Amino acid sequence: MSKVAIVTDSNSGITVDEASKLGVYVLPMPFHIRDRDFFEGINIDQKNFYLMIDEGVEIGTSQPSPADVKALWDDILTDHDSIVHIPMSSGLSGSCESARMLAQNYNGRVEVADNKRISVTLRRSILDAKRMADEGMDAASIRKKLEETGLDTTIYIMLDTLTYLKRGGRITPTAAAIGTLLKIRPVLQLQGEKLDAYAKARTPAQGRKLMIQAIRDDIQKRFSGSRIVIDMAYTFDEEALLSFREEVKEAFPWAGEIYYAPLSLSVGCHIGPGALAVTATVCDGDPVSM
Amino acid sequence: MSATSIDAKMLSQMFLAGAKNLEANQEIINELNVFPVPDGDTGTNMTATIMQAASEVYAEPDAPMDVICKSISSGSLRGARGNSGVILSQLLRGFTKVVKKHDEITGPVLAEAFEKAVETAYKAVMKPKEGTILTVARGAGDRARELAASGETDIEVYFTEIIRAASETLETTPDLLPVLKEAGVVDSGGKGLLEVLKGAYDGYLGKGIPFEQKTGAGCDSQAEQVEEVKLKYAYCVVLRVILSQNLNRKQMMDIRGFLSSVGDDVKVNDTGKGVFLHIHTNDPGLVIQKSLLYGEICEITVSNIAMEGHIDAPEGTPITSESLKLCEESEAGASPLEKVPAEHKDTGFVAVCSGVGMAEIFKSLGCDIVIEGGQTMNPSTDDIIKSAERVNADKVFILPNNKNIILAAEQAGKMTGDDRIVVIPTKTVPQGISALVNYIPGESAEENESSMREAISTVASGEVTYAVRDVVIEGQSIKQGDYMGIGDSGILCVGNNRVDVTVGMLEKLMKSDSELISVYYGEDVDENEAAGLLDRINSKFSGAEVELQYGGQPIYDFIVSVE
Repeated sequence: MSKVAIVTDSNSGITVDEASKLGVYVLPMPFHIRDRDFFEGINIDQKNFYLMIDEGVEIGTSQPSPADVKALWDDILTDHDSIVHIPMSSGLSGSCESARMLAQNYNGRVEVADNKRISVTLRRSILDAKRMADEGMDAASIRKKLEETGLDTTIYIMLDTLTYLKRGGRITPTAAAIGTLLKIRPVLQLQGEKLDAYAKARTPAQGRKLMIQAIRDDIQKRFSGSRIVIDMAYTFDEEALLSFREEVKEAFPWAGEIYYAPLSLSVGCHIGPGALAVTATVCDGDPVSM
Repeated sequence: MSATSIDAKMLSQMFLAGAKNLEANQEIINELNVFPVPDGDTGTNMTATIMQAASEVYAEPDAPMDVICKSISSGSLRGARGNSGVILSQLLRGFTKVVKKHDEITGPVLAEAFEKAVETAYKAVMKPKEGTILTVARGAGDRARELAASGETDIEVYFTEIIRAASETLETTPDLLPVLKEAGVVDSGGKGLLEVLKGAYDGYLGKGIPFEQKTGAGCDSQAEQVEEVKLKYAYCVVLRVILSQNLNRKQMMDIRGFLSSVGDDVKVNDTGKGVFLHIHTNDPGLVIQKSLLYGEICEITVSNIAMEGHIDAPEGTPITSESLKLCEESEAGASPLEKVPAEHKDTGFVAVCSGVGMAEIFKSLGCDIVIEGGQTMNPSTDDIIKSAERVNADKVFILPNNKNIILAAEQAGKMTGDDRIVVIPTKTVPQGISALVNYIPGESAEENESSMREAISTVASGEVTYAVRDVVIEGQSIKQGDYMGIGDSGILCVGNNRVDVTVGMLEKLMKSDSELISVYYGEDVDENEAAGLLDRINSKFSGAEVELQYGGQPIYDFIVSVE
């Protein structure tokens, strides 16, 4: 049986510790702040990161350097036959494209899967990929399967404020579409390629209710007849997440103990602290009864 | 000798006299408003409603019965302002439905018409309330039916009795509606109807106030404007363009928008035999050039309006008369445009509010058109139809933002005859903001309608204004000049300092799970006073987020919402 390794980046929310427990590999995303390089989960944590954002410090986001990617792959391939590399959505970062270019030099031993995911939904893909690898599936088939099912997921994120979204140039058109005179908490929808305005709320309670309803609609319409897993994510304010998690559990009693993790910093730097996210992802098994 | 019927000419005379008498009494009617707020406007609204119909009737002095009926009905339906105006227009609509079928109105026809009027008006109101104009109309109608049943034929008897019945019923309105009794007034809409009936009878007797279109206070400003504008442009251009290709909605709006920017009295009608176009302008060349962009001009007349003898449709000029006729037919929905929305959308919004700050807020939330108006100035059904027409979208949601505008908005929806206009019955500005915030692009109109309706119920609103007279409401004695905090269900707080009253009102509006307080301050409040209020609220309700915005609205110094 060929030995397949699973590689992702820290946008999956998987920390180095967790990766070694799961038996997968993770590349930390680099950040350039005040002339220094930081690596997510290595030498910068959520708290310091959001403190710096609050101070208005300019944060440069980047992608793992080709040298680091290459070094990791080479290392892995000394005792594996092949690699499935699953970076964050190509719609949000160039990491995927760079990895593909690099992979061309590996004679098919590295398969780069572009499955359009991020955060806890990307983590689900990693778990699936690891399971498939353990079951003996080859790298190309795993990649194919991940790409086929990549879009079977949905994320809703409520921002505490529009400030950060407006500051970061990248998602400006989204921000521009949302009212600015009143304090509005935008609820964004992340489906594969793009981060888009979904709805607006005046108060956190309204926003949380909106997200739960949106997830319910997606489960009933888009994912009808599928088994669903619900995960959650947040930026900085874990307490707010935990109380929202109770509401989500109440809305979807079948969801059990809901997994949650901080949103990766590459998303966090665009949306700021205090954001809450809830996701639904299709997985193998019997459909849920609503 | 007493007559036993009314002919078309007499109906016209009576209707005009009725309108004039309502107008003459509008101030008295305005003062009958229960809430002593500085914007009692039943009389103004009813007058504006009937005057639109009256000027149409006046314009055709020798028209037959059915034409007069159409003018009365469509003029009042379109001119309807405020709830009382809408109900009046529905009474007139029902009345003319019966009358238009006859050349002469006899007693029995009159009775049948009154009955139809009452039936139509009751149907138009979702929850008809007794002790209002509806009750007065029914009292009058019942008497007419009794007379008809007794074989009475004398029109004078009918009118004397109908007026007596209306008057008696009006006196009973305080017994039917406790708020009237408490305020010590009779129903204002009912009083308005009585004045119309009295005026009509005076008209019948030949002693009514003569109707002169341009002197009436109700349409004074409008009439003057028209006069002024007419002199602004020297040339009347009428032309027909054979299109090189069919025009879409956007292009039609573009053309109208352009024409409105170079003149007025713009009429554009795509007839299938080419586009007929009419405009008053100082630069016929521009109009011709624009027309050439869309096709070939096959007929054209340019005449000087200022020169004596000019009329819009000179006889013997076939193109002018035909095109004008065709233009007129299309006029119902058409209107001058200041700005043409660039792209076609699935859904658009028209909101009614007053104050520059409020308008900005609505626009920033994606509202396409804001009609300036509200408590002090209720837009007419026609204003709403025309605004909706200007929105380049398949579906237009209307946010009336005032309980006295909802009926007129709903009437606008019915009159356009399709499902394009959907009214979200927002009673206050905060409800309108809440509805707009909760709109989700991409969701179906039905889903949005239901989520916006739901959103309305999640926001509690309050408004602070001053009393214009001494009054006792809900057991609370209010002195002239006092500030009143009025919530969704009544007066919440009274006092002589508007900041105190606002804070007191908020205390009643706040619930344990309230998260956000929004305050919109009006045109008569300066920033310092508003900031002072903000401090007070922040220290008093430390658990909630507070947002202060300039609304710039008149009369209502503070509008607040809690959600």
